[in-house]
Amino acid sequence: MSDTNLIPSEPEKSQRKWIKPALLAGLVVIIALLPLLLSSPYFLHIMILTFIYIVAAVSLRTITISGQFPLAHGAFMGIGAYLAGMASRFLNWSPWLTIPSAALVTMGIGMLIGYPFARLRTLYYAMGSLFFGIGVVYIIQAGGAWTGGYSGFTGIQPMFGGSKMAYYYFFLGLALVSIIALYRFEFSRIGINLKAIAQSYLVASSVGINEGWYRILAVGVGCFFAGLAGAGYAHYNMVLSPGSFNFMATLWLVMYVLIGGIGSIAGPIIGTFILILIPEFFRDLKMYSPYISAAILIIIVYLMPQGLVSLPKLVRSWFTGSRKGERVTHAD
Amino acid sequence: MELAVATVVNWLIISSMYILTALGFAFLFNMLRILNFAHGAIYMIGGYICYIFIIGMGFNNWVALVLATLIVAAFGVFLERFCFRPFVGDFNRTVMICIAIVVILQTTVNIMVGEKTMAIPPFAEGVLRAGPISVSYERIVTFAIGAALLVIILWFVNRTKWGQQMQAISQHRIGAALQGINVYRISSIAFALGCALAAVAGCLMGAYLRLSPFMGDLMLVKVLIIVMLAGAGSLGGILITGLVLGALNAALPVLIPGAASDAVIITVIIVLLLIRPMGFFGYEVEL
Repeated sequence: MSDTNLIPSEPEKSQRKWIKPALLAGLVVIIALLPLLLSSPYFLHIMILTFIYIVAAVSLRTITISGQFPLAHGAFMGIGAYLAGMASRFLNWSPWLTIPSAALVTMGIGMLIGYPFARLRTLYYAMGSLFFGIGVVYIIQAGGAWTGGYSGFTGIQPMFGGSKMAYYYFFLGLALVSIIALYRFEFSRIGINLKAIAQSYLVASSVGINEGWYRILAVGVGCFFAGLAGAGYAHYNMVLSPGSFNFMATLWLVMYVLIGGIGSIAGPIIGTFILILIPEFFRDLKMYSPYISAAILIIIVYLMPQGLVSLPKLVRSWFTGSRKGERVTHAD
Repeated sequence: MELAVATVVNWLIISSMYILTALGFAFLFNMLRILNFAHGAIYMIGGYICYIFIIGMGFNNWVALVLATLIVAAFGVFLERFCFRPFVGDFNRTVMICIAIVVILQTTVNIMVGEKTMAIPPFAEGVLRAGPISVSYERIVTFAIGAALLVIILWFVNRTKWGQQMQAISQHRIGAALQGINVYRISSIAFALGCALAAVAGCLMGAYLRLSPFMGDLMLVKVLIIVMLAGAGSLGGILITGLVLGALNAALPVLIPGAASDAVIITVIIVLLLIRPMGFFGYEVEL
């Protein structure tokens, strides 16, 4: 009689199934209604930046499901941003045209670069993409009149005049669309193939999965959204400087992903929120605020190696003493 | 003609600076298979500690150098025990903890120093003039110490017992432990040495250039280039790749002015890396 409790009955199961999507929808509604409560331009600005970085962080994490760890994502954001900016200023295109085209060209560049880089394994791919990212910043700095060089690039057309409310909803929508698109990508046939390549490229190739093609595809998709985020940023900020897309920017994006948890789409989202919002709370500390970010990093690294998404699991295992899903460390 | 001679001298000096800074990182990478992204920050902190000893406590330059090196070496032992040993084999967490170390060190120095520009007083005064060239003794000292340290480290790795134990660990950790090598103790020694090398480089460069809380960032990129081009498994290879990078950095700005030379240098590096990803003098490693 006691084991009937282990198997949830049919009504129970279907009841539990829509709790998660309902919670998520409720969260989105709350976020959508926030500007009506706190309409300070500063709050809107922070949330807009968060949305932009969420798109970049989630797309970076999408590339990692194929086993590659790109360290050039900030630079691809920069490519998208500068392309959109240049199209807006020199060609006078409307923002609704520059943003998608910049994203597409960034995807093209990413796939072009991904082609020679696809044969590099883990560590060497990371190093190669790191150097490429640095090179992109140098190219932007050397651009002279085209890119404004060190001093920055101005003269980009804004998307919506007036208050930041319109930007807020635009970027919220952009983030939602990107998250849903990347989620569908990950759980599609292509995404499953990518995960197969990540787990064992030898077995995957033996089953007929063209490793090189899929790796380039993963990089392309990731770079599309990075370019999208960058182009959006260009039209929001209206001023670009090469320093915002350098290696430090990439490193921050990597941290957003690692802190949130690299295993799921929710990870980078949570990580971005935490690493942008918490230092803002401590803004009064000014010079001392990097300590807060470092403290968050240290806590996560030592206590929650799987990232913040694993927090419910950790709490549950702490209470019940279960060791489900605990990482088994092998001898070597 | 004079420009050519000056460029050659420049090339040797720049290369020696890069190799000196890269020694600590390459040592850790080869011996422990650890990418110590905090190398730049440790290099920076070594320079600042030396500065404190010289200016704040009035020690002699060389005494301060030795003291700073010892302190940073002790710090390296602490880092190995608490920050790197728990994460052996986990690249993600190693990167995160390195970033945390860098942020903490840079913020601390930034708070204490602020916007002041400072430099360590020179280790050697005067200028050597030989024909058309004039080189300051400072640069010659840096070059000499860099060359000496490279030779010493190569001797240490190949001829001493500790060095051979480190090689064993780098080849197969478990196998080395089965032979009775105390992996933890050797790792501590290796880390102390790596950080000590970083500190020496920081002190010398802090005297030659100036001290800044972010001087490690730029250097880390050059160090990564040198070590990646050389590859894992060859400590002496960084001599060659250091000379190559030095040649690029010395010669190209003469031909292509401005920021474009940086872009060209990086392109050359990327092409070289694509030709032979595992490095020209090393073998492929799984981190």
